[in-house]
Amino acid sequence: MNSPEQRRPQFVHPAEEVFAKILDFYDLEWQYEPHTFPLEWDEQGQVVEAFAPDFYLPDQDLYIELTTLRPKLANFKNRRIRRMQELYPEVHIKLIKRREMRELMVKYGLYENAEQIQGTAAQSRNGAPGPSEEDE
Amino acid sequence: MSFATLQEFGDLGPEIKEVLIPTQALQQRVVELGRAISQDYAGKDPLLVGLLKGVVIFMADLVRAITIPVELDFLAVSKYSGQQSRTGSVRLEKDLSTSITGREVLFVVDMVDTGLSLNYLLRSLRTRQPASLEVCAMFNKPAHRLIELPLKYTGFDLDDRIVAGYGLAYQEKYRNLPFLALLSAQALHNHKAD
Repeated sequence: MNSPEQRRPQFVHPAEEVFAKILDFYDLEWQYEPHTFPLEWDEQGQVVEAFAPDFYLPDQDLYIELTTLRPKLANFKNRRIRRMQELYPEVHIKLIKRREMRELMVKYGLYENAEQIQGTAAQSRNGAPGPSEEDE
Repeated sequence: MSFATLQEFGDLGPEIKEVLIPTQALQQRVVELGRAISQDYAGKDPLLVGLLKGVVIFMADLVRAITIPVELDFLAVSKYSGQQSRTGSVRLEKDLSTSITGREVLFVVDMVDTGLSLNYLLRSLRTRQPASLEVCAMFNKPAHRLIELPLKYTGFDLDDRIVAGYGLAYQEKYRNLPFLALLSAQALHNHKAD
């Protein structure tokens, strides 16, 4: 199990470190990018595209991928996750989207972290983007 | 008793984008939950344990909708604040005053989203060996769930909007709204500037 007492992994994005600290707080075992899943192969059978989800929760047998990108820019992640689900249907993976990350930060009072995630907090009843998030 | 409408909240009005679930719908659902709990726990002398502070409004309404004898107790725990550095550093700020060993316990919460805190608390409560331990959540955000947990009773499923009211706070405000509200960008901006 990773913990602050042990060697921390080198996180790619600050939001990943915040997420890891939240998992630690609730005493939940996690691993950072422990597995890489091949997604595409060339004609010689060499892996040309692979995907390593950010976190794995062993107790839940769940992989988690975080994104702080606007949905348009996060399309490649969505495509990778869809491909992964096609190739590895037995693997459980959840994408935490930018909006969900921001809400998680707000929930824990991490307003500065939430603000670092691009976009405004505009929201609407039906879950559709608010006016200032039309570019989503 | 009649509750204030959105218009009656005056200065608060502009901070609320819209009423997502009106008071009457909340009350109706609480009555339904109370009926179900009364049937399921008849003769079982249940202990309802509420998680402070968000549960206060819901718990007050729920117990008055239950038609069998029940006992009440409350828990309060620290929330992640970004300052903690130790693993498993949830701090019990208020422990139960009742032993739950051998009791039929219904854990009552305002909201379940990721399931992280609920999972932690249920693990902790199970070590005290209750006869049963079930969960009643007024609001549920299943799309946010990271840890799957069985919820025996659920009031409303919500999407991933930032809501407040009916006990739910945004920066400790809005708990007193008798309806569930979507906050406006103005409210979110005002609080960031605090």
